[in-house]
Amino acid sequence: MSNDICFLAEFDGGAPARSALELAAGAAGLARESGGAAVALAYGKGSAAGAASLGSAGASRVVVLADTDGPVIALAAAAAATLRDDAPLALLAPATPNGRDLAAALMGLLGLPALGPVRAVRIEGGRVRAEQSTLQGTVITVSESAPDAPQPVIILALSGTFTPLEGGSGKAAVTTAPPTDAGALGAARVVESHPADAAVANLEEATVIIAGGRGVGSAAGFEPLHELAAALGGAVGASRAAADAGWVPYQLQIGQTGKVVKPALYVGCGISGAIQHRVGMQTAENVVAINKDPDAPIGEFADLFVVGDLFAIVPELTTEIRRRKGMTD
Amino acid sequence: MSHRTTREHDELRAIVRELATERIAPRAAEIDAGSEFPWDLKELLAGQDLLGTCFEERHGGTALDNVAQAILVEEIARADATTSLIPIVQKLGALPILIAGSDEQKARYFPRLASGEWLIAFALTEAGAGSDVAAMRMRARRDGDDYLLTGSKRFITHGSIASLLTVFALTDPEAGGRRGMSAFVVETDTPGFSAPRLEHKMGIRGSPTAELNFDDVRVPAANRLGDEGDGFKIAMATLDRSRLSVAAQAVGIAQGALDFAVGYAAERRQFGERVADMQGIQFMLADMASQTEAARQLTYAAAASVDVADPDLAYWTSCAKLVAGDTAMRVTTDAVQVLGGYGYVSEYPVERMMRDAKITQLYEGTQQIQRMIVARQLLKRAGVLRDTKSQRGTPTA
Amino acid sequence: MKIVVCVKQVPATTAEKRYTADLRLDRAAAESVINPLDEYAIEQALRLQEAGAVETVAYLSMGPESAAEALRRALAMGGEEAFQITDDALVGADQWATARVLAAALDKLAPDVALMGMSSDDARGSLVPGAVAAIRGLPLLSYGAELQLTGSTARIRRLTASGFDILEAPLPVVASVTDQVGEPRYASLKGIMAARRKTLETWSLADLGLSSEDLHGAALTRVVEARPPEAKAPTERVENLGPAEAATRIADWLTARKLI
Repeated sequence: MSNDICFLAEFDGGAPARSALELAAGAAGLARESGGAAVALAYGKGSAAGAASLGSAGASRVVVLADTDGPVIALAAAAAATLRDDAPLALLAPATPNGRDLAAALMGLLGLPALGPVRAVRIEGGRVRAEQSTLQGTVITVSESAPDAPQPVIILALSGTFTPLEGGSGKAAVTTAPPTDAGALGAARVVESHPADAAVANLEEATVIIAGGRGVGSAAGFEPLHELAAALGGAVGASRAAADAGWVPYQLQIGQTGKVVKPALYVGCGISGAIQHRVGMQTAENVVAINKDPDAPIGEFADLFVVGDLFAIVPELTTEIRRRKGMTD
Repeated sequence: MSHRTTREHDELRAIVRELATERIAPRAAEIDAGSEFPWDLKELLAGQDLLGTCFEERHGGTALDNVAQAILVEEIARADATTSLIPIVQKLGALPILIAGSDEQKARYFPRLASGEWLIAFALTEAGAGSDVAAMRMRARRDGDDYLLTGSKRFITHGSIASLLTVFALTDPEAGGRRGMSAFVVETDTPGFSAPRLEHKMGIRGSPTAELNFDDVRVPAANRLGDEGDGFKIAMATLDRSRLSVAAQAVGIAQGALDFAVGYAAERRQFGERVADMQGIQFMLADMASQTEAARQLTYAAAASVDVADPDLAYWTSCAKLVAGDTAMRVTTDAVQVLGGYGYVSEYPVERMMRDAKITQLYEGTQQIQRMIVARQLLKRAGVLRDTKSQRGTPTA
Repeated sequence: MKIVVCVKQVPATTAEKRYTADLRLDRAAAESVINPLDEYAIEQALRLQEAGAVETVAYLSMGPESAAEALRRALAMGGEEAFQITDDALVGADQWATARVLAAALDKLAPDVALMGMSSDDARGSLVPGAVAAIRGLPLLSYGAELQLTGSTARIRRLTASGFDILEAPLPVVASVTDQVGEPRYASLKGIMAARRKTLETWSLADLGLSSEDLHGAALTRVVEARPPEAKAPTERVENLGPAEAATRIADWLTARKLI
């Protein structure tokens, strides 16, 4: 058993995904409190070559599970072997589909306690405690492992739970996990891959989200939202109504049946704020809403609620932000 | 007469409420505004087996008891009165066959009615024969193995969209309406039938109310219900049962208006407080709720009386329709009041509910006719009035 | 071919949640429904059955006795039989214990596909499908926008950030699906009436060969504190401003919070 804090570090397109950088910072912070090390379990194309770069993100050791693409759950056996050896205090996993699948398999294989998605994690008296918002945000709970539960406790973290370190200069020792038979969990394979014409932004990685709803009215109506997102360096998201109408790809849907996001800034345009959407964005740090209906439910929980026509206001806002940022068209 | 709702009733209510809330309520405003029959919702109800509740399982129905059928109508009407007429009229049109039809006639027509493939309408009223059914003029002349139907009907709900009609006509004009009337099942693709005109109505606007013309429409004698001369008796027995559906519809409309008013009062703020916190509003809501509940319980009691074929069922169904219709009118009017100016504009649903409610005081016997029926029953019991079977008809189902 | 759909009963999304003095959800006071995300799994199974790819659809649920209502509702949508695991020792079960128990029940039912919704509406951990696969030693096909069954393999279409992938695994598998499989049907009246005659079998932990000790009580985790959410700062409302003024107000607001 150790006081290390492990985290799952996903690589995407040869570089660490934003989730890897966030979890590295989170693990480093927790490891300082626990008196252990921040240890990355890296996977995905480019993880072997890029592993050392996690040092500046906060990791002191990196174990490369596999430098391959494909279903991440196939790496469960290799990850389990590593965790069995170290038995760290906690394992941080990104609350993405891949992260959840791998975390789930580890929970099942090793009989580990799991918490999350969490809003915050801290160490109190040597124990990892996680704060969760459950039942559509109607109650906040603080949880921990049962007293004699095995280590590590798995912590699922939404994007935005931790902030990546800037200007870090640490070095990480890199090792490679020994080859392990993936067993049945390795049997699911990608047999076809169909890229879309245009890549869709990864909402789970975005720190600023401009979301559109029924009030946007059409696919063309999303254009000003895209421009605002570009000006703010963010991504466009949508309510279910807008995704179902085909105005944006389904991958952009936020809510009960879509993605759960935790951006630093969420701007809802023409979104009423029904509970089914709210559960997907209620942990956003700052919520701005633009809606012409003064009685829209989003007015109850937004931080700033602007009553007005989004098609008039959003382009003006884009221009104003470009001006303040010194951007030119 | 008493009743008790069962677990099955509660389950039915939950299922229909979910369907009505998610699929019917969102359509109600546009159905009203466009005065268009909601074919999509007809398909929806048919697909959920909700148009066959009064038919036996061997005919493709689900044979629900009358309390369950009332709950079904009530929950649909809570979302939209027009749409609730789809199951109501399907039963109304089929009741003459249920009451007086032969096994062969039932087997021939019920499966397509139970599945919702065909709609049916009930063609009794004429321009000059509304409450006074016996003043009917429409003729049915015998011609070999057929009858030739000639005349016109008015205010026939779904008359223009139905595939099948139960039609009442005089086979013996000399004997008068009470004894000379017969009932027929008519397929509307028969030559000589037309529906030339629709009414422009105050409410239930998505439900077409048609004028029907019969110009020597040839109907096989095999389509006559019961014997010649049974028509009046069949019509009265039908209305004794069908007005239960109108009572249930009225309860649903009232509940819909009450629920909306409560939700609005809880949200809306005036003079710095929630409207719902004002005692004047609370008293209104309390009256609306208790009256609606009273109408509901009376409707279920009447439904139970039909289930056991109570000889007094006409008394019960008339009491229920009288109370429920007046309740719907009062509760929807009060709901408009609770919303104030917003209640009067079509942006909110309560003005539609108020317009829809009015019909429940009019059709299938006006409130005045209901009072006559109730009073006649009272006087009969008191021995003041002799039982006049020929006038009132007795149930044969 | 047999599918077992795992179904969880949850408080309705829109239900008002009331809490007891110690901040446990008053489940009796909240309207309960089938987890909305499980309804998509049910719909997927029934569509496969209608297409002739599956003979039997069964349901499995773990929960208090009252959760039988969710199974009845599922049976009203279609399918043949249902199994409910209910045991006092399962009160407070966490995701690990849930996965462990479902895995044991699925071993007993031995379906070709154990199908689940992508997450539960109340906890949203999404860990149960992967854990059940790991415990049972079966492949996982997760987050399917569609499930297909052909011969001895299962395939799912999974949306990716840049399009979609097709994933394949040999049967038997554990799978989870998203709302992309198609809108769940409403139970028909005949379906509801037929459901009353369908088998609903109840199992205790002992019936699955498990004990409370196997489940570490019922959880490897525990809640040490529960509290109402922090009161939110009041919403700042901006009304009756022209577009340019409104945009400036928003930009000022963002600047003050260092979001620009």
